[in-house]
This record gives sequence, structure tokens and C-alpha cells, in this order.
Amino acid sequence: MSNKQRIKVLVSVIGLDGHFTGAEVVSRFLMDAGMEVVYLGIYQTPEMIVSAAIQEHVDVIGISSHAANYEQINLLMDLMKKNNFNVPVMCGGSIPPQDAEVLIKKGVSKIFLPSSTSESIVNYIVSKVKR
Amino acid sequence: MKRETDYGLEIKPVYTPKDIAGLDYTKDVGDPGSYPFTRGYHPNGYRSRVWTRRMTGGIGSSRRTNEQLKQFRAMGQTQGILVICDRPSAMPIDADHPMGRREAGVLGWHATSLLEFEELMEDIPLTGQSITLLGSAPLSALRLGYVVALAEKRGVDWREVHGSVSEYPFGHIFGQTDNLPLDLNIKLWLDSTEFIVRNKLHIRSGILTQHFQESGGNNPQALAIEIAMLKELLGKLVNERGLDFDDLALIPYELVSVGLRFFEEIAKVRALRRMYAKMARETFKAKTDKACQLLIAVHTSSRTMTYQQPLNNIARCAIETLAGAIAGCTAIDNACLDNAYAEPSPFAARMSLNTQHIVSDETGVTDVTDPLAGSYFVEYLTNKVEEEAYKILQQIEDMGGMIEAVKQGFIKNLMRESALQKQREIESGERLVVGVNELVIPPEEDDKIPIQSVEASDSEEIADRMANWKKTRDIPLLKEKIAQLYDDAKKGYHYNLMPSITEAVKAYGTAGEIIGVIRKAYGYHYDPLEMIDCPFEL
Repeated sequence: MSNKQRIKVLVSVIGLDGHFTGAEVVSRFLMDAGMEVVYLGIYQTPEMIVSAAIQEHVDVIGISSHAANYEQINLLMDLMKKNNFNVPVMCGGSIPPQDAEVLIKKGVSKIFLPSSTSESIVNYIVSKVKR
Repeated sequence: MKRETDYGLEIKPVYTPKDIAGLDYTKDVGDPGSYPFTRGYHPNGYRSRVWTRRMTGGIGSSRRTNEQLKQFRAMGQTQGILVICDRPSAMPIDADHPMGRREAGVLGWHATSLLEFEELMEDIPLTGQSITLLGSAPLSALRLGYVVALAEKRGVDWREVHGSVSEYPFGHIFGQTDNLPLDLNIKLWLDSTEFIVRNKLHIRSGILTQHFQESGGNNPQALAIEIAMLKELLGKLVNERGLDFDDLALIPYELVSVGLRFFEEIAKVRALRRMYAKMARETFKAKTDKACQLLIAVHTSSRTMTYQQPLNNIARCAIETLAGAIAGCTAIDNACLDNAYAEPSPFAARMSLNTQHIVSDETGVTDVTDPLAGSYFVEYLTNKVEEEAYKILQQIEDMGGMIEAVKQGFIKNLMRESALQKQREIESGERLVVGVNELVIPPEEDDKIPIQSVEASDSEEIADRMANWKKTRDIPLLKEKIAQLYDDAKKGYHYNLMPSITEAVKAYGTAGEIIGVIRKAYGYHYDPLEMIDCPFEL
């Protein structure tokens, strides 16, 4: 892929969750697949994530969630709407089915459950970002 | 399928005396109770005392967690409690902080004030069982203050309380929530540990590799890191605080993560006992046997618990519990069947405690100490994991020790690469995981299990309670104690802050406030998230 066509993905952990391993492993897979990754790291508020996503013109947002703090993801979705910023938001991590359902209703485009393969994540992003 | 240890050592179909040629029983293994303690510390093993069978507790408000602990007690957990705190407490920020409000009580107990500890412990004895509080390094000093304050209130001698309320200052390197700068974290750890030693408390501090392994690190890396952390932290207490190593050695305990590779996990724990004993005697010139014994507790690995077909995790938990029991340990807490979903539900907790009792009471595992000693394979694995660990330890020491290795990114890198490799091995099918890449069933047919949750309204309630309660405190007294703490914090790195922290805790200062003013004295922003200002005029 040339630079112009490279898919740009924002990867972040949200709120007070300190578990960064999943986000780092996924970031590496995405980069290996030729994507550009804007990795924000930990202790990112929904406000910080939305503002970085807008500034960086990312195509997709990926949120890693291992601390059951779904309220933060709900707030992120509200903020996206408020800012009229419409890119797919994917979440990954240990998210129980009932919470996953709520997040999907809230507008999250896809939940990658534990043990999702790197291939499934890469393919999904490619399918969502039309070039 | 790969036939290699978790760190890539090829495994042969059979092991013979040749594989442990040169192993000297007296020098390298020793009877249980004899140096180098490879076989454990007690000649009679579990006949002297069975390991503490406990569950991780902590969810929502202190009142809710108190109910949970009573429920665990009714399920047979009488030897000790283990409670983890929520993410705001871990940072630490208070529930009424704008970010605390969103996550209070999620993933643990909201633990930012003495009031909460008093509620947590209502109708629960402080003595006669071990009290273990985990989940955040900066909170260690406060939790120690909580114990001292509540013991005084109940008229209990501090020294009769045993357990562990303190933990190592490196957790945030391994994915634990904690936003205190490393140097300040280490300072507070040294302060609280020195306080424990000088006051002869029976409180330990967890120097843990559980978090490192759950984030992806392998077995020899974990051993190397454990020894590197202990060497540096205990070394500081000897050299900078003038403490005697033989007194200090009663402080650390290790919570080791035990996964499914049964023999390797047992070998790891055996190697750890030997490595620690050698370090104590050779590096620190330990005089007593007791000082050569690292207390080891076991956590059955969360990492191995799958989201898919969660009931399979009961089997995983049982195998890991058996490995931990055979390896020899002082306590076990299980990651249980719903670990990939949420904090343990009452159903999962009961399954987990029952699993431990099945292992301790039905299998005969408590009859004989270190039953796998002398096995060609297990002794070989013990030697190999130790050998590999010493190589990594050497790399860490060449960098200048654990703190330098952390600062240079070496430790995080080990973990990241190891996590990545594990993921690749599962994706390629080199490692099989039932329900994940083998014997997969459609999600709609998956096991239905109860899931424990915390609602946004629960967090709000904890936050509102805290905001209102804060106004009812004796404000002049609090201001006085906070001002004293601030002044003391300006007295330098080696000035012990535990006495003034304890005073502030007794005046119901909160974690956000107490750690906040210490941060401020050290030139950092009062708030780790830089969203609120210090409410005190200092």
C-alpha cells in the first residue's frame, strides 16, 4: 500500500484501565498488515480519544477493554455523535455478551472477543474502510 | 502441536538419570525444611498447615464487598480474605473525581478511605485469619494506615494482625492501574516497609510476578524479574534504611501465576525457592534459615481462562490448583470460570473454593511433601528454568538492576515479545486451546453462566456518597494532618512518611488527598489525571 492509501487506525485503552498488552499486540498486527497506527496508550478519556481521532483523521477507532468500564465507551460514542465524527469504532477484550449487545446498540460497529485472530481484525478493518 | 516448554525448550519423550547427572541431593535439592529449600520450608509440609484456600473478593461499594466476604466465609473461606480495589483507588483518585465517578466500584472494591475499610470489615475479624488487600502500589501505605487505625479502634494489638496489605512498586509496568511516578512509588514502598519492620508488624508486601505473567511473560523471565525486584528493593532497605536483612526477610511474599503446563509450573516454584535461598545467603549474607525462605502464594492463571465455553475453566482451574498444591505454597486464590467475563459471581466463587477443597481433602495431595522431587523430568525442568532465569537476570544486572531495566524499556519489551509469540502460537495452531482453536462450538451454543456486574448508577452512588461524606469530616483536624504530611513530604526522599500518612488516614483523609499532597510536595500535579486542583491551601 502506498502512503496515500494506508488505512489509519487509532488504538487506545480507555479510562482507568491499565491493561495495555492487548492493545499493543493488536497494534503490532495492524502495522504488520501495512496499516498506520496511532497508539494513544493508557489513561485516555473519551474526550482525549475523540479529539485525537479528529486531529489525526483516522479511518477507524479501536478500543481495548479489560476493565469492565463500559460506561467510558458509551460516553465515547456520545461524544463522537456530538462532534459529528463518524468512523467505525471497534472494541476488543473481555466483554460479556450482554455488555457487548449494549455497546452494539450504542453504535459500536464490532466487538472482537478474546481469542479473535489477527486476520479477522485486519480483514474487518479492510472491509469497513472503502478506498 | 509444539512440544516445547513455555520458553521454547524442546521436550524429549523420556527423561533418565543422565538428564540430571551432577545433581547433588544435599546441595541442590535438600530435604523439606533444609537449605536451599527446593522442596519447601516445612518438614511436614501441609500436615503442619494446609494452604489458605481463598477467593479474590472486591466489587462495588465497601458494603457490597462486605456482604461478598461474608458469603465467601459461609462457603468455607475461613483462613483468610483477599480483596482487590477498583481502578480509581488504584490510580489513586477518589470516587468523586470526574473520572472516579465513571468507574467507582468497577473491577474491585472502592478503597480510598478509612471509612470504606471500616465498612468492608464490619463483623469480620481482623485477627485469626490473614488479611490481604491488593490492587495498587500507591494505596499500600494507606491500607497499612487503615489496618493500624482499625486495630486501634477495636482494641486489637497491631502485631496480631497478619496478612499483606502492601505491594510492589512495579505493577504499572505490568498492566496494573497506577499513575504514580516510579521513583515516588519506590519511596512510598520503602517507607511503608520500613514502618512494618521497625514496628514488628506481621504484615507482608507482595513482590509479585503474577501481573507480569498474566500480561504474557514466560516462566524464566518471571523468575529473573522476581529475583531482580527483590534484590533491588531489599537492597535499598538494607543500604538506604539501615535495616537488617534477617528482619526484612519476613516481608516479601510472591504471588506466582500457575498455568496449565503442569510440570513446568511445579518446576518454576521449586526453582524460585532455590534461587531466593541462594540470593539471601550469598548476596545478603542471611544468618537464619527463615531469612532464606520466600513465602509463595499461588494464583491460578487468569490468562488460561477462556471466554469460550467457560465451564471448561473449572477443569483448567482444578489442574492448576493441583499444580500449585504439589509445588508447595502458602495460599491459593483461583482465577475462576468467569474470569474472562467479570469479577467472580457467587456461583464461580463456590466452584472455585470447592475445587480447592476437592484438591486438598480428596486427592491425598496434602499427605506427602514435594512428591515430585527426584523425578528425572521435574528435576531437569527445575534446573533448566533456573538456568534460563539466571541468564535473563544477568542481562538485567548488566543494565544496572531492575529499576534501570524498567527505565530502559527492557522489562516491558520482554513481556510484549513473549505475549506476541504466545498469540502467534495459538493462531498458527502450534498451541491448542480447547474451545478457541480446537473443538470450537458456535457462540449461540456456548455455556450460559451468571455474570456479576456493576452498573453506572452504582458508581454514581459511591461517588455521591463520598462527595457528601467528605463535607461531614472534622475539617480543621484533616487540614492540620494534611499540612503536616505536606511538610514532612518536603523533608526528603528518606524521611519516612508513614507516621504522617497514618495520622491523615485516621483523620479520614482520602487516597486522592493523601497521595495528591505527596505528589504536590514532589512537584507533580496534585491530580494524576491533571483534571482537578488541590482542595487544600498548602
